[in-house]
Amino acid sequence: MMTTQQERRTKLVHLIATIAETDVASVRGEQRLREDLGMDSLGALELLSTVSEALSIDLDVEDAMDLRTVDDAARFVEKSYLEQHDDSVARA
Amino acid sequence: MRALVIGGSGFLGLNLVDELLARGADVRVTRRRQTVTLLLRKRKVELFDASLDEPEKLRRAMDGRDVVFLAGAHYPRYSIDRDASIATGVRGVRNACEAALAAGVRRFVYTSSIASLAQAPTDRRADERDVPPTIPTDSVYRAVKWAMEREVDDARARGLDAVTLLPGGCLGPWDLRVGTGSFLVGTVRGLMPWWVDGCVNLVDVGDVARAHVAAASPTPLDRYCVAGHDVRVGWLLRHIVLRYGGAMPKRRLSPDDARARADADEIAAAPTKSRVPIPRELVDMAIAGQPVSSAPARVDLGVETTPLDRALDRAHEFYVRFRFIPSPERPMETA
Repeated sequence: MMTTQQERRTKLVHLIATIAETDVASVRGEQRLREDLGMDSLGALELLSTVSEALSIDLDVEDAMDLRTVDDAARFVEKSYLEQHDDSVARA
Repeated sequence: MRALVIGGSGFLGLNLVDELLARGADVRVTRRRQTVTLLLRKRKVELFDASLDEPEKLRRAMDGRDVVFLAGAHYPRYSIDRDASIATGVRGVRNACEAALAAGVRRFVYTSSIASLAQAPTDRRADERDVPPTIPTDSVYRAVKWAMEREVDDARARGLDAVTLLPGGCLGPWDLRVGTGSFLVGTVRGLMPWWVDGCVNLVDVGDVARAHVAAASPTPLDRYCVAGHDVRVGWLLRHIVLRYGGAMPKRRLSPDDARARADADEIAAAPTKSRVPIPRELVDMAIAGQPVSSAPARVDLGVETTPLDRALDRAHEFYVRFRFIPSPERPMETA
Protein backbone atom coordinates (compact mmCIF):
# COMPACT_ATOMS: atom_id res chain seq x y z
CA MET A 1 0.00 0.00 0.00
CA MET A 2 1.37 3.38 -1.01
CA THR A 3 1.69 5.92 1.82
CA THR A 4 2.93 9.47 2.05
CA GLN A 5 5.89 10.59 4.14
CA GLN A 6 3.52 12.31 6.55
CA GLU A 7 1.45 9.15 6.94
CA ARG A 8 4.58 7.14 7.64
CA ARG A 9 5.76 9.61 10.26
CA THR A 10 2.33 9.66 11.90
CA LYS A 11 2.35 5.87 12.03
CA LEU A 12 5.79 5.90 13.63
CA VAL A 13 4.84 8.49 16.24
CA HIS A 14 1.71 6.55 17.17
CA LEU A 15 3.78 3.39 17.63
CA ILE A 16 6.35 5.25 19.72
CA ALA A 17 3.57 6.57 21.94
CA THR A 18 2.11 3.08 22.33
CA ILE A 19 5.41 1.42 23.20
CA ALA A 20 6.56 4.27 25.46
CA GLU A 21 3.07 4.34 27.01
CA THR A 22 2.72 8.07 26.54
CA ASP A 23 0.32 10.45 24.84
CA VAL A 24 0.76 10.85 21.06
CA ALA A 25 0.52 14.61 21.31
CA SER A 26 3.46 14.72 23.70
CA VAL A 27 5.90 12.95 21.35
CA ARG A 28 8.30 15.44 19.76
CA GLY A 29 11.00 14.97 17.16
CA GLU A 30 13.93 15.95 19.34
CA GLN A 31 13.00 13.58 22.16
CA ARG A 32 15.50 10.85 22.85
CA LEU A 33 14.06 7.35 22.65
CA ARG A 34 16.03 6.09 25.63
CA GLU A 35 16.45 8.99 28.02
CA ASP A 36 13.25 10.95 27.35
CA LEU A 37 10.82 8.21 26.39
CA GLY A 38 12.21 5.41 28.55
CA MET A 39 12.53 3.06 25.64
CA ASP A 40 15.24 0.43 26.12
CA SER A 41 17.01 -1.38 23.27
CA LEU A 42 14.28 -3.98 23.13
CA GLY A 43 11.62 -1.29 22.99
CA ALA A 44 13.41 0.34 20.06
CA LEU A 45 13.56 -3.02 18.33
CA GLU A 46 9.87 -3.63 19.01
CA LEU A 47 9.14 -0.24 17.47
CA LEU A 48 11.12 -0.87 14.32
CA SER A 49 9.84 -4.41 14.01
CA THR A 50 6.25 -3.15 14.08
CA VAL A 51 7.01 -0.31 11.67
CA SER A 52 8.75 -2.62 9.24
CA GLU A 53 5.72 -4.93 9.23
CA ALA A 54 3.25 -2.08 8.86
CA LEU A 55 5.15 -0.50 5.97
CA SER A 56 6.43 -3.74 4.40
CA ILE A 57 10.07 -2.72 4.63
CA ASP A 58 13.19 -4.48 5.78
CA LEU A 59 15.24 -2.60 8.37
CA ASP A 60 18.87 -3.16 9.27
CA VAL A 61 18.84 -4.13 12.92
CA GLU A 62 22.40 -3.07 13.67
CA ASP A 63 21.92 0.39 12.18
CA ALA A 64 18.67 0.66 14.10
CA MET A 65 20.58 0.36 17.38
CA ASP A 66 22.25 3.73 16.63
CA LEU A 67 18.99 5.64 16.60
CA ARG A 68 18.77 8.20 19.39
CA THR A 69 15.81 10.49 18.77
CA VAL A 70 12.32 10.32 17.32
CA ASP A 71 13.58 12.31 14.30
CA ASP A 72 16.46 9.82 13.86
CA ALA A 73 13.93 6.99 13.77
CA ALA A 74 11.70 8.85 11.29
CA ARG A 75 14.66 9.56 8.97
CA PHE A 76 15.85 5.95 9.20
CA VAL A 77 12.41 4.56 8.39
CA GLU A 78 11.92 7.06 5.55
CA LYS A 79 15.31 6.28 3.99
CA SER A 80 14.67 2.53 4.17
CA TYR A 81 11.16 2.95 2.77
CA LEU A 82 12.28 5.02 -0.22
CA GLU A 83 15.12 2.61 -0.97
CA GLN A 84 12.71 -0.31 -1.06
CA HIS A 85 9.60 1.24 -2.65
CA ASP A 86 9.50 2.78 -6.08
CA ASP A 87 6.99 5.43 -5.12
CA SER A 88 8.73 8.76 -5.42
CA VAL A 89 5.35 10.31 -6.20
CA ALA A 90 4.26 9.54 -2.62
CA ARG A 91 6.97 11.63 -0.94
CA ALA A 92 4.88 14.75 -0.55
CA MET B 1 12.19 -32.42 10.56
CA ARG B 2 9.09 -30.21 10.69
CA ALA B 3 9.51 -28.15 13.82
CA LEU B 4 7.45 -25.63 15.72
CA VAL B 5 9.37 -23.25 17.95
CA ILE B 6 7.44 -21.40 20.64
CA GLY B 7 9.60 -18.50 21.77
CA GLY B 8 11.58 -18.36 18.56
CA SER B 9 12.17 -14.61 18.73
CA GLY B 10 13.96 -14.83 22.07
CA PHE B 11 17.60 -15.40 22.95
CA LEU B 12 17.66 -19.18 22.94
CA GLY B 13 14.84 -19.28 20.40
CA LEU B 14 16.75 -17.44 17.68
CA ASN B 15 19.81 -19.62 18.22
CA LEU B 16 17.60 -22.71 18.10
CA VAL B 17 15.92 -21.53 14.89
CA ASP B 18 19.35 -20.98 13.30
CA GLU B 19 20.50 -24.44 14.38
CA LEU B 20 17.34 -26.06 12.99
CA LEU B 21 17.65 -24.20 9.68
CA ALA B 22 21.31 -25.21 9.44
CA ARG B 23 20.17 -28.83 9.75
CA GLY B 24 17.63 -28.36 6.94
CA ALA B 25 14.53 -28.38 9.13
CA ASP B 26 11.22 -26.87 8.11
CA VAL B 27 10.65 -24.30 10.84
CA ARG B 28 7.44 -22.65 12.01
CA VAL B 29 7.60 -20.08 14.79
CA THR B 30 4.71 -18.77 16.86
CA ARG B 31 4.40 -15.05 17.27
CA ARG B 32 2.39 -12.86 19.58
CA ARG B 33 1.08 -9.42 18.67
CA GLN B 34 4.04 -7.66 20.31
CA THR B 35 6.71 -10.12 19.18
CA VAL B 36 9.79 -8.54 17.64
CA THR B 37 9.71 -10.31 14.28
CA LEU B 38 12.37 -8.20 12.60
CA LEU B 39 15.05 -10.83 13.10
CA LEU B 40 12.80 -13.80 12.35
CA ARG B 41 11.64 -12.26 9.08
CA LYS B 42 15.24 -12.30 7.90
CA ARG B 43 15.22 -16.07 8.29
CA LYS B 44 13.45 -18.75 6.25
CA VAL B 45 10.72 -19.51 8.77
CA GLU B 46 6.94 -19.51 8.77
CA LEU B 47 5.43 -17.15 11.33
CA PHE B 48 2.22 -18.36 12.96
CA ASP B 49 0.01 -16.12 15.07
CA ALA B 50 -0.44 -17.88 18.44
CA SER B 51 0.37 -17.26 22.08
CA LEU B 52 0.52 -19.51 25.12
CA ASP B 53 -2.83 -18.02 26.17
CA GLU B 54 -4.55 -19.30 23.00
CA PRO B 55 -4.94 -23.11 23.20
CA GLU B 56 -6.81 -23.53 19.93
CA LYS B 57 -4.33 -21.42 17.96
CA LEU B 58 -1.51 -23.38 19.58
CA ARG B 59 -3.06 -26.64 18.46
CA ARG B 60 -3.38 -25.36 14.91
CA ALA B 61 0.23 -24.15 15.02
CA MET B 62 1.25 -27.71 15.92
CA ASP B 63 -0.67 -29.33 13.07
CA GLY B 64 1.70 -31.28 10.86
CA ARG B 65 4.70 -30.65 13.10
CA ASP B 66 6.91 -33.56 14.20
CA VAL B 67 8.54 -31.73 17.05
CA VAL B 68 7.50 -28.83 19.26
CA PHE B 69 10.12 -26.81 21.10
CA LEU B 70 8.75 -24.78 24.00
CA ALA B 71 11.66 -22.37 24.39
CA GLY B 72 9.66 -19.39 25.50
CA ALA B 73 7.63 -20.20 28.57
CA HIS B 74 6.83 -17.48 31.07
CA TYR B 75 9.83 -15.54 32.33
CA PRO B 76 8.87 -13.23 35.19
CA ARG B 77 10.43 -9.80 34.68
CA TYR B 78 10.42 -9.16 38.43
CA SER B 79 10.30 -11.45 41.47
CA ILE B 80 7.48 -9.50 43.06
CA ASP B 81 4.16 -11.29 42.58
CA ARG B 82 4.87 -14.96 43.26
CA ASP B 83 1.33 -16.31 42.92
CA ALA B 84 0.56 -14.44 39.70
CA SER B 85 3.90 -15.44 38.15
CA ILE B 86 3.35 -19.10 38.98
CA ALA B 87 -0.23 -19.01 37.68
CA THR B 88 0.81 -17.38 34.40
CA GLY B 89 3.68 -19.79 33.89
CA VAL B 90 1.66 -22.91 34.69
CA ARG B 91 -1.25 -21.83 32.48
CA GLY B 92 1.00 -21.30 29.47
CA VAL B 93 2.88 -24.58 29.78
CA ARG B 94 -0.36 -26.46 30.42
CA ASN B 95 -1.90 -24.96 27.26
CA ALA B 96 1.15 -25.93 25.20
CA CYS B 97 1.16 -29.49 26.56
CA GLU B 98 -2.58 -29.93 26.00
CA ALA B 99 -2.23 -28.63 22.46
CA ALA B 100 0.66 -31.02 21.80
CA LEU B 101 -1.37 -33.97 23.10
CA ALA B 102 -4.35 -32.95 20.97
CA ALA B 103 -2.23 -32.40 17.86
CA GLY B 104 -0.43 -35.72 18.36
CA VAL B 105 3.07 -34.27 18.05
CA ARG B 106 5.78 -36.88 18.07
CA ARG B 107 8.16 -35.11 20.43
CA PHE B 108 7.93 -32.17 22.82
CA VAL B 109 11.16 -30.46 23.93
CA TYR B 110 10.72 -28.20 26.93
CA THR B 111 13.29 -25.65 28.08
CA SER B 112 13.55 -25.27 31.84
CA SER B 113 16.59 -24.15 33.82
CA ILE B 114 19.14 -25.43 36.30
CA ALA B 115 17.30 -23.07 38.65
CA SER B 116 14.76 -25.84 39.11
CA LEU B 117 17.34 -28.26 40.58
CA ALA B 118 17.35 -29.27 44.22
CA GLN B 119 20.53 -29.04 46.27
CA ALA B 120 22.67 -32.07 45.42
CA PRO B 121 24.19 -34.39 48.02
CA THR B 122 27.57 -33.11 49.18
CA ASP B 123 29.52 -35.89 47.48
CA ARG B 124 28.63 -34.99 43.88
CA ARG B 125 27.62 -32.21 41.51
CA ALA B 126 23.95 -31.48 40.96
CA ASP B 127 22.32 -33.13 37.96
CA GLU B 128 18.94 -34.03 36.48
CA ARG B 129 18.19 -36.43 39.33
CA ASP B 130 17.90 -33.55 41.77
CA VAL B 131 14.24 -32.57 41.73
CA PRO B 132 12.94 -30.57 44.69
CA PRO B 133 10.10 -32.56 46.29
CA THR B 134 8.10 -29.37 46.92
CA ILE B 135 7.95 -25.96 45.32
CA PRO B 136 10.95 -23.76 46.28
CA THR B 137 10.09 -21.01 48.72
CA ASP B 138 13.32 -19.00 48.53
CA SER B 139 12.90 -17.63 45.01
CA VAL B 140 9.99 -16.68 42.74
CA TYR B 141 12.01 -17.55 39.66
CA ARG B 142 12.87 -21.00 40.98
CA ALA B 143 9.28 -21.56 42.07
CA VAL B 144 7.93 -20.67 38.61
CA LYS B 145 10.44 -22.97 36.92
CA TRP B 146 9.60 -25.82 39.31
CA ALA B 147 5.85 -25.43 38.82
CA MET B 148 6.10 -25.29 35.03
CA GLU B 149 8.23 -28.44 34.97
CA ARG B 150 5.57 -30.28 36.92
CA GLU B 151 3.05 -29.47 34.16
CA VAL B 152 5.34 -31.13 31.64
CA ASP B 153 5.75 -34.12 33.97
CA ASP B 154 1.97 -34.39 34.21
CA ALA B 155 1.55 -34.30 30.43
CA ARG B 156 4.30 -36.91 30.07
CA ALA B 157 2.38 -39.18 32.42
CA ARG B 158 -0.63 -38.76 30.14
CA GLY B 159 1.29 -39.85 27.06
CA LEU B 160 3.19 -36.82 25.76
CA ASP B 161 6.69 -37.81 24.66
CA ALA B 162 8.37 -34.88 26.37
CA VAL B 163 11.96 -34.20 27.30
CA THR B 164 13.00 -31.38 29.62
CA LEU B 165 16.31 -29.57 29.21
CA LEU B 166 17.84 -27.54 32.02
CA PRO B 167 20.40 -25.07 30.68
CA GLY B 168 22.80 -23.04 32.78
CA GLY B 169 23.03 -19.28 32.33
CA CYS B 170 23.32 -18.78 28.58
CA LEU B 171 25.86 -16.54 26.87
CA GLY B 172 26.12 -15.73 23.19
CA PRO B 173 24.59 -13.89 20.25
CA TRP B 174 21.01 -12.57 20.09
CA ASP B 175 20.76 -11.84 23.81
CA LEU B 176 18.77 -8.70 23.12
CA ARG B 177 17.23 -8.67 26.59
CA VAL B 178 20.69 -9.03 28.15
CA GLY B 179 19.96 -11.80 30.65
CA THR B 180 22.87 -13.64 32.23
CA GLY B 181 25.12 -11.47 30.06
CA SER B 182 24.25 -8.47 32.25
CA PHE B 183 27.28 -9.57 34.31
CA LEU B 184 29.40 -8.89 31.24
CA VAL B 185 27.72 -5.70 30.00
CA GLY B 186 27.36 -4.20 33.47
CA THR B 187 30.98 -4.85 34.41
CA VAL B 188 32.52 -3.60 31.15
CA ARG B 189 30.40 -0.44 31.27
CA GLY B 190 31.06 0.04 34.99
CA LEU B 191 27.33 0.00 35.71
CA MET B 192 27.22 -2.74 38.35
CA PRO B 193 26.56 -0.91 41.63
CA TRP B 194 27.13 -3.97 43.81
CA TRP B 195 27.62 -7.70 43.67
CA VAL B 196 26.97 -10.80 45.71
CA ASP B 197 29.17 -13.85 45.64
CA GLY B 198 28.00 -17.32 44.83
CA CYS B 199 28.32 -20.00 42.18
CA VAL B 200 27.00 -19.51 38.64
CA ASN B 201 27.02 -21.90 35.74
CA LEU B 202 27.63 -20.40 32.31
CA VAL B 203 27.07 -22.13 29.00
CA ASP B 204 27.34 -21.05 25.37
CA VAL B 205 23.86 -20.68 23.89
CA GLY B 206 25.03 -22.55 20.80
CA ASP B 207 25.69 -25.64 22.94
CA VAL B 208 22.18 -25.36 24.35
CA ALA B 209 20.63 -24.95 20.90
CA ARG B 210 22.47 -28.04 19.65
CA ALA B 211 21.31 -30.00 22.69
CA HIS B 212 17.72 -29.04 21.88
CA VAL B 213 17.98 -30.30 18.32
CA ALA B 214 19.54 -33.55 19.54
CA ALA B 215 16.75 -33.93 22.08
CA ALA B 216 14.19 -33.93 19.26
CA SER B 217 15.12 -37.60 18.78
CA PRO B 218 14.27 -40.21 21.42
CA THR B 219 16.57 -40.13 24.44
CA PRO B 220 17.19 -42.57 27.31
CA LEU B 221 16.32 -39.93 29.93
CA ASP B 222 13.46 -37.44 30.02
CA ARG B 223 15.44 -34.70 31.81
CA TYR B 224 18.92 -33.35 31.02
CA CYS B 225 21.09 -30.63 32.50
CA VAL B 226 22.86 -28.66 29.78
CA ALA B 227 25.39 -26.87 31.90
CA GLY B 228 28.76 -25.38 31.08
CA HIS B 229 31.27 -23.86 33.46
CA ASP B 230 30.93 -23.47 37.23
CA VAL B 231 32.50 -20.21 38.38
CA ARG B 232 32.36 -17.96 41.42
CA VAL B 233 30.80 -14.57 40.76
CA GLY B 234 33.82 -12.70 42.15
CA TRP B 235 36.19 -14.61 39.92
CA LEU B 236 33.96 -14.03 36.90
CA LEU B 237 33.77 -10.26 37.41
CA ARG B 238 37.54 -9.97 37.81
CA HIS B 239 38.05 -12.15 34.75
CA ILE B 240 35.74 -9.89 32.71
CA VAL B 241 37.63 -6.76 33.82
CA LEU B 242 40.95 -8.30 32.86
CA ARG B 243 39.71 -9.57 29.50
CA TYR B 244 37.46 -6.72 28.31
CA GLY B 245 38.05 -3.77 30.63
CA GLY B 246 35.58 -2.07 32.93
CA ALA B 247 35.54 -2.03 36.70
CA MET B 248 34.74 -4.33 39.57
CA PRO B 249 31.60 -3.18 41.36
CA LYS B 250 32.69 -1.36 44.52
CA ARG B 251 30.28 -2.88 47.04
CA ARG B 252 30.01 -6.55 47.88
CA LEU B 253 26.75 -7.32 49.64
CA SER B 254 25.83 -10.19 51.90
CA PRO B 255 23.15 -12.56 50.55
CA ASP B 256 20.45 -11.01 52.76
CA ASP B 257 21.41 -7.47 51.78
CA ALA B 258 21.58 -8.44 48.10
CA ARG B 259 18.08 -9.92 48.20
CA ALA B 260 16.72 -6.85 49.96
CA ARG B 261 18.45 -4.47 47.54
CA ALA B 262 17.24 -6.39 44.47
CA ASP B 263 13.69 -6.48 45.85
CA ALA B 264 13.71 -2.73 46.50
CA ASP B 265 15.05 -2.02 43.02
CA GLU B 266 12.35 -4.17 41.41
CA ILE B 267 9.53 -2.58 43.41
CA ALA B 268 10.80 0.85 42.36
CA ALA B 269 11.15 -0.20 38.70
CA ALA B 270 7.84 -2.01 38.33
CA PRO B 271 5.55 1.00 37.74
CA THR B 272 7.56 2.03 34.67
CA LYS B 273 8.54 -1.56 33.72
CA SER B 274 12.16 -0.45 33.60
CA ARG B 275 15.27 -2.57 34.04
CA VAL B 276 17.04 -3.00 37.32
CA PRO B 277 20.85 -3.23 37.60
CA ILE B 278 20.73 -6.74 39.07
CA PRO B 279 17.42 -8.65 39.08
CA ARG B 280 16.42 -10.68 42.13
CA GLU B 281 16.41 -13.75 39.89
CA LEU B 282 20.18 -13.42 39.27
CA VAL B 283 20.79 -12.88 42.98
CA ASP B 284 18.85 -16.06 43.76
CA MET B 285 20.72 -17.99 41.09
CA ALA B 286 24.10 -16.94 42.49
CA ILE B 287 23.26 -17.51 46.15
CA ALA B 288 21.65 -20.92 45.56
CA GLY B 289 24.13 -21.80 42.84
CA GLN B 290 25.94 -25.10 42.94
CA PRO B 291 28.29 -27.01 40.61
CA VAL B 292 26.26 -28.81 37.94
CA SER B 293 27.11 -31.86 35.86
CA SER B 294 26.11 -32.36 32.23
CA ALA B 295 27.57 -35.84 31.90
CA PRO B 296 24.37 -37.52 30.61
CA ALA B 297 23.79 -34.74 28.07
CA ARG B 298 27.34 -35.16 26.77
CA VAL B 299 26.77 -38.87 26.28
CA ASP B 300 23.14 -38.97 25.11
CA LEU B 301 22.87 -35.64 23.28
CA GLY B 302 26.46 -35.37 22.08
CA VAL B 303 26.83 -31.94 23.65
CA GLU B 304 30.33 -30.49 23.48
CA THR B 305 31.02 -27.67 25.90
CA THR B 306 32.37 -24.50 24.33
CA PRO B 307 35.30 -23.13 26.37
CA LEU B 308 34.27 -20.33 28.73
CA ASP B 309 36.47 -17.66 27.13
CA ARG B 310 35.10 -18.52 23.70
CA ALA B 311 31.53 -18.22 25.02
CA LEU B 312 32.38 -14.88 26.67
CA ASP B 313 34.03 -13.64 23.47
CA ARG B 314 30.97 -14.55 21.39
CA ALA B 315 28.72 -12.72 23.82
CA HIS B 316 31.06 -9.71 23.99
CA GLU B 317 31.22 -9.53 20.21
CA PHE B 318 27.42 -9.48 20.02
CA TYR B 319 27.05 -6.80 22.68
CA VAL B 320 29.57 -4.59 20.89
CA ARG B 321 27.92 -5.17 17.52
CA PHE B 322 24.54 -4.19 18.93
CA ARG B 323 25.92 -1.25 20.95
CA PHE B 324 25.26 -2.65 24.40
CA ILE B 325 28.99 -2.23 24.95
CA PRO B 326 30.90 0.71 23.46
CA SER B 327 33.78 0.11 21.10
CA PRO B 328 36.55 2.51 19.99
CA GLU B 329 34.85 2.75 16.59
CA ARG B 330 31.38 3.37 17.98
CA PRO B 331 31.47 4.98 21.42
CA MET B 332 28.19 5.14 23.28
CA GLU B 333 26.43 8.41 23.87
CA THR B 334 25.98 9.31 27.49
CA ALA B 335 22.78 10.90 28.68
